Amino acid sequence: MLGDLLYRGRALFRRKVVEDDLDAELQFHLDRLTEQHVRAGKTPDEARRLSRIALGGVSQIKEQCRESWGVGWIHAVAKDLGYALVRVRRYPRSAAMIEGSLALGIGMSVAMFSLVDAVLLRPLPFPNQDSIYVIQKADPLAGAHVEELAYPELVDLQESIPGFEYVAVTPTSLYGYARVLETGTADPVQLEASPVSHDFFRVLGVTPRLGRGFTDSDERVGAPPVVVISDRTWREHLGADPGIIGRTVRLNGQGHSVIGVMAPGVEFPRGAALWVPLGIEQRVVERRGATFLQAVARSKPGYPRQQVDRDVSALFTRLANEYPESYSSSQRGVVTPLVNYWTGSARIHLWIVLGASLLLLTASAISSGGLLLSRAVSRRSEIATHLALGAPPRRIFTRMAAEGAVAGVIAAIAGLGIAYLVIHSLVKWPPADIPRLSEASLDLNSFCFAVGAAAFVAVVCSLAPGWALSRMRLESAIREGDPRSSVSHRANRSRGLFVLAQSAVTFVLLATAVLLVLSYRSVALVETGLANRDALTMDVSLRGPGLFPSQAFDPVTTDAFYSRLLQRLREEPGVTSAGAILLRPLAGPIGWDIPYEFEFEAGSWDGKQRPKANYEVVTADYFETVGSPLLQGRDFDSRDSQEAEPVAIISETLADRVRSAGHTPLGHRVRLAIRWSPGWMRVVGISGDARYRSGTHSGAHIFVPILQAGQATRHVVIRGPRPRQELSELVQRLVREIDPSQNAGDPLTIGELIDRDTARHRFNVIMLLWFGACAVFLAVTAVYSVIAETMAARRTEVAIKSALGAQRNQVVRDLVVRTIRFAVLGLAVGTAAVSVLGTLGPDVFRGTSARDPIVLIPVAAFLFVVSLGAAVWPAWHATRDNRRTLLRES
Amino acid sequence: MSSIDLPQGTLDLLILKTLNLEPQHGWGISERIRQISHEVLHVQQGSLYPALHRLERRGWIRATWGVSDNNRRAKYYELTPEGRRQLEDASASWQKLSAAVQIILDTA
Repeated sequence: MLGDLLYRGRALFRRKVVEDDLDAELQFHLDRLTEQHVRAGKTPDEARRLSRIALGGVSQIKEQCRESWGVGWIHAVAKDLGYALVRVRRYPRSAAMIEGSLALGIGMSVAMFSLVDAVLLRPLPFPNQDSIYVIQKADPLAGAHVEELAYPELVDLQESIPGFEYVAVTPTSLYGYARVLETGTADPVQLEASPVSHDFFRVLGVTPRLGRGFTDSDERVGAPPVVVISDRTWREHLGADPGIIGRTVRLNGQGHSVIGVMAPGVEFPRGAALWVPLGIEQRVVERRGATFLQAVARSKPGYPRQQVDRDVSALFTRLANEYPESYSSSQRGVVTPLVNYWTGSARIHLWIVLGASLLLLTASAISSGGLLLSRAVSRRSEIATHLALGAPPRRIFTRMAAEGAVAGVIAAIAGLGIAYLVIHSLVKWPPADIPRLSEASLDLNSFCFAVGAAAFVAVVCSLAPGWALSRMRLESAIREGDPRSSVSHRANRSRGLFVLAQSAVTFVLLATAVLLVLSYRSVALVETGLANRDALTMDVSLRGPGLFPSQAFDPVTTDAFYSRLLQRLREEPGVTSAGAILLRPLAGPIGWDIPYEFEFEAGSWDGKQRPKANYEVVTADYFETVGSPLLQGRDFDSRDSQEAEPVAIISETLADRVRSAGHTPLGHRVRLAIRWSPGWMRVVGISGDARYRSGTHSGAHIFVPILQAGQATRHVVIRGPRPRQELSELVQRLVREIDPSQNAGDPLTIGELIDRDTARHRFNVIMLLWFGACAVFLAVTAVYSVIAETMAARRTEVAIKSALGAQRNQVVRDLVVRTIRFAVLGLAVGTAAVSVLGTLGPDVFRGTSARDPIVLIPVAAFLFVVSLGAAVWPAWHATRDNRRTLLRES
Repeated sequence: MSSIDLPQGTLDLLILKTLNLEPQHGWGISERIRQISHEVLHVQQGSLYPALHRLERRGWIRATWGVSDNNRRAKYYELTPEGRRQLEDASASWQKLSAAVQIILDTA
């Protein structure tokens, strides 16, 4: 074994000596043979000739001896790599083409992989994350995708489902729970806070780095206020003070004792900077109607997902029977693994973009393979010579593999550069609100992925040329007058397959891109009903002590605050209108969905669930500011006071319901079917349908005036010719002037809210369109180069044919039809592949279908025309330009 | 008399056997095999060298440069102890094989 290694080492590192020895050894043999022949009476020349024949091909023997040394392949590889590099230098244009498209393919797919890796594949900072579930409810019959839970349901979950180790509840949204933190040493800051029940951190499986988490004694009604702060908050706002435990900080003006600093990286719910106990108010703990929560639960080992689903469903069905006054009989549990909940719809969008980038990578590999094949065909005579001199066919194959490998390595290096730029820009200018996007980077995983991509590229690039050339028939290659035609059959067939594959991949990419564009259009071009994209919205929630900061003030106080604020805003120069609303449009999936009834249908429910509408509290001038038209009736004004008759403005969708029942909406009455309902409200206005939760949410809305509502408005909307920066500074200044303990934040225009709502779709669309365009370009080059190459190879034949009177059209047609046939086959394969994508789900292809012929046929037709053009152009040119000159040449 | 091409794998055995007598260079080995087999066995001269180099790599033979009978520098091969063992094993199994084949040919 050791001797073997030493022998190989010598052959490898003392190559010169070993080769010289071999030369000398063979020469000795030849000389002795020659002497023998001379002694037998041959002339010296004849003797030399005979001995060479007896020994056999010297270079072949040498090659075999090198193989015996066990290092032949190393030398062969080194030599082939050298050749491959020479080729890159000798054909700079086709090399640039090949490397460019490969680098693009690798770069894009590495970048997309890094995103997927950071967002979806890397584990969350929670041990055994797969056994953590988020539990919500849905009521499909009432049209509610998400129903929230109330605190008593926490106890139900804990007591009824033995498979759960820990269960906790937390509000479904951070919205409205933000706390102003006063440390006493720096300016007050507004931080997102999440009230949680005391087992929350045990569900997540995390422990504080300092101090302790919550216990049940922290969560009793009337318990002294405590807070657990995140590692980030501790570092950024409390100077990473190791003695922080036990100190008191002020949150919304109320002293809280710091009991723990959470482990780094734990920021759940997403964005949470601190956590406070939830069950400290009697009304929260007891009321089944106080639904604003979701549950998180950790299952015991060996408690399977299906069992969780079954048990949770059974529980909510039982609760609906036990408490028919609180729950709809059609409610059901929705169990989402925490990992999926965390990434939400970003998951499917990222997988799609990654898939598309891999298709682009495939397309670039195929087109480069085609170019390498064409290049290889053009040097067939050189290869034939090698074969004639005794090189085994597999050496030709390894030489092609070396070219593929060199192409792959160069492209991988350039691709990593592209990937770095793409990731960098995506992190710097995030295209959409995607969790953990900022953690994406070029790391070891991305590097491994790039290596894999390069290997894939190398294989694709070398398989076909190697296959076509390594088996070419030696005699015919050398003998035939035109060195190009002997392998033309095999080469043509493999080039045809390249065209087929390329056109299939291109079709899939382009069709998916078009489908996504249509889907995006149906989301983005939905009439939002909010015409004033420039209207600025800001969060001006009044914050006081207690679990619900915005409920710390009575309606008169909040109304007085908002009246003064809006009054002052309207007086400012450069402000044309200002208003306020409970929840600004397109703020997210959370809001007030409240069952209602009109007068005409009152009492007709008989146990059936009433329909639900989005409930909003607004001030006068709100509709004008956001550009939501009042179709009939009037806006709210000073008449609509606490003492006056309750009034409401309803949206057109609701007005249609009244009309279809044969009543006149204006002047009709509507009532909210909940505990704090203000009674029958007379409809004084009808607004156009606008989108509130999201672009795809229904248009049923009920607006009530601020003075008659039980809730305070939380968002200010303001519009004027002044720049938005000035407007937002103005709001902040006036808020502080009226009440120095309050603040305004989170400025976003209506346009930004609309864009943010569709950002993930847009991100997908932009990436897919870009990939699609690249793929079309690659496909065009592929068809073009095949035709151009074929024309070049068969110029004599074409020239003779056309000179002999064949119609030029006929010649061109023959050539083009042969190539286009493969392209059309590719389109058929692509269509089949795309229809499989139709199973991806409604969130992806909204308002369209992956089998829709109205989408697929134009895409196919477009690609057909483009391929046809790319094929006809070089064929036509070749016949026209070359007829005379070529005939003269031949 | 027509000559027979060597069956696959027997060349190694013949080389080892030839070298068992005395160290020899490639030309000598090829000549000896031809003479001893009364020119029945036809060794493709070119295939001798890859085989020699392979045996050397396996450590069954050792090569040294020496001077030939006509006073020229030549590469001599000799058996190593391992090569000798290998020769014994290989000739034993070869004899077993050929005896078995002979029996079948005689009786069947």
